[in-house]
Amino acid sequence: MEDQFLHDLRRAPSPEFASRLRAGLRAQGTPSRARGRSPAVPWLAAAAAIAMVSFAFLFPEVRVGAAAFLDMFRVVNFAGLRFDPQRIAGLKASGVDFPSLLGQVEPLTEPTAPVSYADASEAGQAAGIQVRLPAWVPPGYTLAETLVTAEHSARVTANTAKLQTVLDALALDDVRLPDGLDGQVATVHLPAIVGMTYRDGDRALHLIEARSAEVSFPAGFDVPALAQAGLRILGLDRDEAYRMANSIDWRNTLVVPVPVDAASFRQVNVAGADGLLIERARGGGMLLWSTGGQMYALSAPLGAEALLEMAQSLQ
Amino acid sequence: MSERFPWAQAAAEIDWDAAYSELLPRVYNYFRYRLGNDAQAEDLTSRTFEKAWTQRGRYRRDLAGFSTWLFSIARNVGVDHLRAQRRHLPLEAANHVAAAGTPQDHATHESDLQRLAALLQRLPTREQELVALKYGAEATNRAIAALTGLSESNVGTILHRVVLELRSAW
Repeated sequence: MEDQFLHDLRRAPSPEFASRLRAGLRAQGTPSRARGRSPAVPWLAAAAAIAMVSFAFLFPEVRVGAAAFLDMFRVVNFAGLRFDPQRIAGLKASGVDFPSLLGQVEPLTEPTAPVSYADASEAGQAAGIQVRLPAWVPPGYTLAETLVTAEHSARVTANTAKLQTVLDALALDDVRLPDGLDGQVATVHLPAIVGMTYRDGDRALHLIEARSAEVSFPAGFDVPALAQAGLRILGLDRDEAYRMANSIDWRNTLVVPVPVDAASFRQVNVAGADGLLIERARGGGMLLWSTGGQMYALSAPLGAEALLEMAQSLQ
Repeated sequence: MSERFPWAQAAAEIDWDAAYSELLPRVYNYFRYRLGNDAQAEDLTSRTFEKAWTQRGRYRRDLAGFSTWLFSIARNVGVDHLRAQRRHLPLEAANHVAAAGTPQDHATHESDLQRLAALLQRLPTREQELVALKYGAEATNRAIAALTGLSESNVGTILHRVVLELRSAW
């Protein structure tokens, strides 16, 4: 064969090298059979992360007490926020721990394993919501699994030292944190979540339904000022951060970070409700919307039209 | 927070042990053919697998086979390396590493690999890449097409021409 000489130059890696590399990977936590993430996971993670991002902007200025919680954050709207994932990765690599950036997070309930239900209405009863099912799903997909994740609460005690350190490190000297924040406490309540997975062979789509997450915080707190700091850290320039921080209603808008190089987003109408459609550059996407006091997230390897059709068929 | 969505994480499974056993030789030889240097091939192979592990959450089973995804990472690692080195074939830096076979076999292999590297260096980068993918990584023309954006027939045509050139010069 003409090309046999090219094949003949192959050589097996040395056993020492193969063993050394394998050991190194295992040292990083490589399991013998690890679960990969589904196409939906980055978006589901984003949906979960929106709580952290938005909640991070909502800290109280008074101490926790019976009369301290004078206002409440609930999700009514969604807003997309472009961010550079490499910037975030760089910050994480330099030691920035985002969940604790604004203070100490203390779980008030222990996380429990999700519970599987054979019937969506039973799952809804367990979660305390009325589950709506799609009248239309893409051909080939069938409901394969319904899980309920229990509600969860956490208390966040503000400490701006870390945040100020990050601002200083990034030379964001135009940002001024609100006074009187340290030591103040907010309570975050994440509701029970019903997650339904539809499968067509290896392909899966995920529909999530839950009551709105809530954060208790005091009225009168200068949320835009803190939001502006967060937006600057995420990479927005000074003017853009100021404009966005002061144009969003932070009491009812959940901010969804969208990687600038991987996806685009736009506002859409979902059966009369405002929704946020995130479309991945490599296909598939996620649709977020809220109606009747419940949040919905639909993540699937589908185009925008099919996502919307399925979402609008919920009943 | 992602622990709250375990149903999503269960959608795709990767048998990392099997993937490692199957793909380690292919990635390693891809870099050997690409760089002509065993020591650097080991280094970049390590970087590729480490990146794949740390970035495993980005793997989308519905969009690409795992090997295609892994070789996308490998190619990026290779490009970064070559960019940093500002040279394509650091033959003068070739090192001997432990390997199966007699010392004489080893020396012959090393010599032939360097000889091939010298020949490849005369070719455009795209052709070097195709040879490394075809003969180092043992990728099919279809897989190479998916990785490079070329059509499958174009891959075959280019490789046929390159092999004839290399054969005549060998």
